[in-house]
Amino acid sequence: MRTDMRLLLAVLLTLSIQPVSGQNRQNFYNVDAELKVSGAIEEIIMESRYAGSSPFLIVILKDKQTEQKYFIEIGPAWFFEYDAHKGEILTVVGSLRRPMGELPLLIARKVTFRGETLVMRDKYGFPSWRGGRGRGRGWRRGRRG
Amino acid sequence: MKRTRLLLFFVLPFLGVVLIFLVLSSLDRRYNRLRIEELVGEQLHATAEILSVNISHLLSEKVSAEDIFALYAGEENIYYTALLDEKKEILAWISQFEGYLPLSLHSDSGKEAWIIESPAGRIYNVFTSFRDAEGRQYFLYLGYSLKSLEDMVRHSRNSFWVILGLILITGMFVFGGFYQLQKRYLDKEEEAEEQKKQKERFREISAFTSGVAHEIKNPLNSLSLLFELLRKQVPLDLKEDIALGKKEVRKIAGIIDQFSASLKPISLQRERIRLREIVSEAWESLPAVRQDNPVSLEVEIKGALVLLADRRLLVQALSNLLQNALEATGEGEIRLSAKAGKGGTTIWVRDSGTGISAQAAPRIFDPFYSGKKQGMGIGLYLTKKIIEAHGGEISFTSQPGRGTCFRIMIPGE
Repeated sequence: MRTDMRLLLAVLLTLSIQPVSGQNRQNFYNVDAELKVSGAIEEIIMESRYAGSSPFLIVILKDKQTEQKYFIEIGPAWFFEYDAHKGEILTVVGSLRRPMGELPLLIARKVTFRGETLVMRDKYGFPSWRGGRGRGRGWRRGRRG
Repeated sequence: MKRTRLLLFFVLPFLGVVLIFLVLSSLDRRYNRLRIEELVGEQLHATAEILSVNISHLLSEKVSAEDIFALYAGEENIYYTALLDEKKEILAWISQFEGYLPLSLHSDSGKEAWIIESPAGRIYNVFTSFRDAEGRQYFLYLGYSLKSLEDMVRHSRNSFWVILGLILITGMFVFGGFYQLQKRYLDKEEEAEEQKKQKERFREISAFTSGVAHEIKNPLNSLSLLFELLRKQVPLDLKEDIALGKKEVRKIAGIIDQFSASLKPISLQRERIRLREIVSEAWESLPAVRQDNPVSLEVEIKGALVLLADRRLLVQALSNLLQNALEATGEGEIRLSAKAGKGGTTIWVRDSGTGISAQAAPRIFDPFYSGKKQGMGIGLYLTKKIIEAHGGEISFTSQPGRGTCFRIMIPGE
C-alpha cells in the first residue's frame, strides 16, 4: 500500500514538473538573521522582485549608526501605503542577506515610517500582502541577490 | 410528578445524549486529525525520499541545484522546498510565497518534522538528509500544505454541526412529544383525582344532609300536627295566622324533601308514556309560578310521541325546566317542541327570557348553584341527573338578554 502511494506520488511529481528559471538562493526571508536598521532614505527604486508579482518598493538606506548602506526590499508598492521621499527616516526590522559583491540586502518584516509601523511579513517571513487562506498562490522566485 | 420534575425527566436524558455525542464527536475528530497528520507525515517523508533519490541522481549528473529545483516547481501542496549542503547553506529553494522559507536552523535544528501555523494554513515541515553518489551530504527541506486536511476537518466540523442540529431538532420534537403526552396524561390524572375528591366530598355532604333532613322532618311533622290542632282551638281571628304558620312549616318540609330527593340515587320505573301528557302534567304542576309570571306555553309535538320513561321523574325534570323558563321570561312565551329521531326523542324548551350569563353557564348544572335570589340550586342539577339516569343528555344554548334553549335527548327503546 505504502509502495503504491510512493509510486503514485512519484508519478504526480513527475507530471507536475514545470520548467522555471533558476532561484536565487539569497532572496528568501531567513528567520535566523534578523537585523534592525534605521536611517535616511538615499534612493527609491521600484522593481519586479518575484516572477508574477507587482513592482516592489526598494530603498537604499544608510544606517545612521554604522554608516552602512543597505538595499532594502520593503514589499509591493501598492501594499506600502506611503509616498516615501529621499531623506526621510525609515526604521526597518528584517532579514539580512549578503549577496556577493553588492550591498547587503535586508528583506523587511516591520517598517516604521512617519511614526507608524507596518507589518510587511509575519515572524516566519510570510508576506502580509498575500492575505490569509484561500488567496491565490503561484510560484515565486527571487530575481536579485 | 411535578411539572419541573417531569420536564427534567425528559430534558436531562436528552441533554445527556447530546453531551455524549459532543464528547465522542470531539474525541473522534481529534483522533482523526492526529491520524491524518501522521499519515501526511509518512507520505511526506516518502515524497522527500523520492525527491532525495532524484536530486541525488541529478546532482551526480552535474545539474546545478537551482536548475534541479526549477524542475520541481508546480506541486500545489508543497509550499516551499530547499536544498542545503553539508554545512546547511541553502543551495537552492522555491516557494509559492515571495521569499517565504520559514526554516530556522537555530530552533528547528535536529527536528525531522514539525508543523507551523501560517496565514495560508498549517504547514507540515520535513527536514531530511541524503548523500549523492560521491558521498556528499545534502539536506532537503519541504513544507507541505495541510490545507486538504483542514478542508476535511472543516467539512467534518460542518457535518458535526449539521448532525448536532438534526439531533437537537429531532430531540426537541420527540422529547417534546413525550413531554406533551405525559403532561396530558398527568392533567387527566389530576382531573380524575379532583373529581374523585369532589365525589367523596359530595358523598360526605349527602350523608350529613340526609341525616339532618331526617332529624328535622320528624319535629316538623309534629309541628304541622300541632298547628292543625291549634287551628281548631284558637279564636277565629287567629286561625289565619296559624294557617300561615302551618304553610311555612310545610314549605320547610318541602325544601327538605327536595334536598333529600337530590341526594338519593335515582331508580327508574319505566313505562310507556305520551310526551304530551307529561308536558301537560309538568305545566299544571306550576300554578303558583304561572300566576306570578303571565307567560303562555306553546307546545309543538308532532304526532303521538311515546317515550319509555319514569313518568314521575320526567314530569319533575320538565317541570324544573318550565319553572326556570317562566321565572326567566316574566312576560312572553315559552315554546316546547319535540321530535322523534333515529337515536331517540329530542325535546327543546325555549324561552325569551334574560338568558344565562357566560360566568354562570359552566355551573348551572352544579348542585346548590343558583343564579336566582330565592333558588336553592337543585332544580337543574336534579333535571340533569334524571335525564342522565334515562341514558339521555341535556345541553343548552343561551344569549344573555335574548333567551335560553334547553335541549333534552332521551334515547329510544
